[in-house]
Amino acid sequence: MNNISAASREFREMDELSAQDSPIHRLHPLVKLLVTLAYIVCVVSFPKYQLSGLAVMVLYPVLVFQLSGIPVRTCFHKLRIVLPLVCAVGLLNPFFDRAPLLYVGGLAVSGGVVSMVTLMLKGVFSLMASFLLIATTSIDALCAALRKLHVPALLVTLLLLTYRYISVMIGEVAVMTDAYRLRAPGQKGIHISVWGSFLGQLLLRSMDRAEELYQSMQLRGFRGEFYYADQPPCTAGAVAYGVVCAALFVLARLYDLPQLLGNLFV
Amino acid sequence: MHMADALLAPAVAATMYAATGVAAGVSIKTLRKDENTQKLPTMAVASALVFAGQMINYTIPGTGSSGHLCGGMLLTGLLGPQAGFLSMIVILAIQALFFADGGLLALGANCWNMAFYGCFVGYYLIWKPVMHSKLFGKSGARTAGRLKIALSSILGCVLTLQLGALSVVLETSISGITELPFGAFVAVMQPIHLAIGLVEGLITSAVLIFVYETRPELIMDADTSGDAVRSKCSLKTTLVILAVVVAVVGGGLSLVASGNPDGLEWSMFGNAESGYSENMGLDEENYGVSSTAADTAASIQEKTAFLPDYAFANSDSAAGTTVSGLVGSAIVAALAAAICFAGGFFRKKHKKAAAKA
Amino acid sequence: MIEFQNVSFSYESGTPVLQNLCFSIGAGEAVGLIGANGAGKSTIMKILLGLLPCEGGVTVGGLAVKKQNLGEVRKKLGFVLQNSDNQMFMPTVYEDMMFAPRNYGLSKEEAEARVDRVLSELGLTELKHRYNHKISGGEKRMAAIATILAMEPEAILMDEPSTALDPVNRRTVIRAINGLTMTKLIASHDLDMILDTCDRVILLSHGQVAADGPAGEILRDKALLEANRMELPFCLAGPSPRQ
Repeated sequence: MNNISAASREFREMDELSAQDSPIHRLHPLVKLLVTLAYIVCVVSFPKYQLSGLAVMVLYPVLVFQLSGIPVRTCFHKLRIVLPLVCAVGLLNPFFDRAPLLYVGGLAVSGGVVSMVTLMLKGVFSLMASFLLIATTSIDALCAALRKLHVPALLVTLLLLTYRYISVMIGEVAVMTDAYRLRAPGQKGIHISVWGSFLGQLLLRSMDRAEELYQSMQLRGFRGEFYYADQPPCTAGAVAYGVVCAALFVLARLYDLPQLLGNLFV
Repeated sequence: MHMADALLAPAVAATMYAATGVAAGVSIKTLRKDENTQKLPTMAVASALVFAGQMINYTIPGTGSSGHLCGGMLLTGLLGPQAGFLSMIVILAIQALFFADGGLLALGANCWNMAFYGCFVGYYLIWKPVMHSKLFGKSGARTAGRLKIALSSILGCVLTLQLGALSVVLETSISGITELPFGAFVAVMQPIHLAIGLVEGLITSAVLIFVYETRPELIMDADTSGDAVRSKCSLKTTLVILAVVVAVVGGGLSLVASGNPDGLEWSMFGNAESGYSENMGLDEENYGVSSTAADTAASIQEKTAFLPDYAFANSDSAAGTTVSGLVGSAIVAALAAAICFAGGFFRKKHKKAAAKA
Repeated sequence: MIEFQNVSFSYESGTPVLQNLCFSIGAGEAVGLIGANGAGKSTIMKILLGLLPCEGGVTVGGLAVKKQNLGEVRKKLGFVLQNSDNQMFMPTVYEDMMFAPRNYGLSKEEAEARVDRVLSELGLTELKHRYNHKISGGEKRMAAIATILAMEPEAILMDEPSTALDPVNRRTVIRAINGLTMTKLIASHDLDMILDTCDRVILLSHGQVAADGPAGEILRDKALLEANRMELPFCLAGPSPRQ
């Protein structure tokens, strides 16, 4: 089952990306998290017809891609999950909202078309922003940032542990599905007769394993919270970066910058 | 069913974050009271397992398609509502972060739609009452346990997915993202998720029954003693609850029926929908739309469609706006390209310098 | 260092696992724990670590293994699991090694100095910043041992430290074990490894001590071993019957 090995490959890929080094990687994780959230909120809050205003928001991901050296290709690969949903909702707009909104060389463009494109751009932009966050920040750093935001330790520890164990689990599921397929040629998935036992077997084994894991943690003095790996210091520069970014996002959201820019020339 | 960031208005997203946050806070408090840190690795492994399990294709007999697992009810049956809810949050967060399934902003909404209903509503309204009931009492403790697990898994999955789908529609509509009329949107979402919920319920019950038969102590509220069921909940209350469930599901569906008041919207939807279903590879029959209605709609569309009378009114100002917007956007695009070029240039230089050194 | 006095343990179902078990291990001893599957080897380790309740007296370094002492007892004991995957849950070897010292209250600098020392003693310095999911099985086993040594335990307990390793890695692990001066308790079916690493052997049978003595003696006693579902170590067994 291709998607299983694809998933474990994706995990490894993200791990490797976040282990690289760049000015963005070195930023304090909390700053990155907040900037990303500010960006997404600004992008999503654009009115549905304000296509030109939204266009300027492309600069942030483009800049971060370049500064961090993360290949854009890896991101577009991930669009395949979100885009169909956004498109499905967006594609209907041109059918319902037919009032012409603007004219390009005498050709009327309906509000639905504009809002569809706006919606798709919003989808792509917000996805790129969260992709860039996770591609430049390790899960440990992110968890440390979440703790700084006072997200409960239980939840953060659970996130970290689950993340650790997903790669082990995916590996086991991959081995099991391979073993299944080798004895069941031509089947597309798991037959109904083994629906329960297939995942159930793994579940029982995993429960024992969870116990052993927890014991091994306890034996080494675990009291319910991890010490997160050292985070880059929250320098004045990082704070300035955060403030400037947020201010620019708000500015871009309040004023239709491309429109103003265009007015200078037209 | 994962909502994307773009489908939510920030206010709606924030509300859903708040709702999820409250539910998570209450869960954590409850778990702390139980001093169940023991549960932590079990939760982690269970959610990792559900995550991996979501990638397995389950062949649905008699059809060419395959079903998948979502996991809310499964985790509830194993860990209880609070721990199950937290585990689901973690799964959804990892999906959003690493697989771009859902989004950072939409995480709160996704947790509510998929985790809250599956865990809390599914547990308190269905799982617990059914498991403690005297249902199937005549068929022996073991068989009764099995049947009760199957019943509550399937009912739970169907109900919670219906609620989840309805929430997706509500959230998207309130956000003002789609022009799709509310009723029509509901009419697409609910039946599709009825089918998904049934399949998920079957998978969930298959897994839980397997666990019940090998290690019954791992199942929440399972009767492990083997003797008569200590019933907190009589058959009567169970039936009342089932009636409520039926009412909710039925109500949702009747809402759909009344949600398409005038034929125009409904049929326009039908027309648009055919494109949608082709794109999505969905089964058209799932939400049967009469073709005659679609035909009328097509004619109405022709009449009302492009280039209405006021087509070129105010064209000066409108055109002006458009042009400067376009020029500005072009400049932005050029700027973006320049940044890319500069970045590439500097990296190359850097590499060369590194190679020399 | 370690003392078992009339220790009994049975599962909830009533199946007895250990019956009136008595033995003691002095500080600095290297003891091999052998016996058929189900003889009680793992149970002994878990009881020592306070993971299973039992009847009778168990002491570690003079402290009774009881709930109020568990923290102290566990600090004295390092347990190397059979499955390194269950032990190495942090992303990198370095972070995993920092886990226990940081939990026991060492500052970052102290803990890091310890980590560096252990790694260089074991010759694993290049593993320090590697990812746990990307190192080979042999490296992972060594890293798991390093993780435990970073705790600086007074005694080390090992469950099958040589399984699933190629001969070279197995030899590396044996050499590492022989380099340790603390008390060692090693449970294994790999009798050759026991012979190479332990002075004394405790042979368990049905939850009781069937034999306790110098490794060289017990591991040469063909009749005793075969009565307990074991065979002579290969290095003492002579040529294979097929050759």
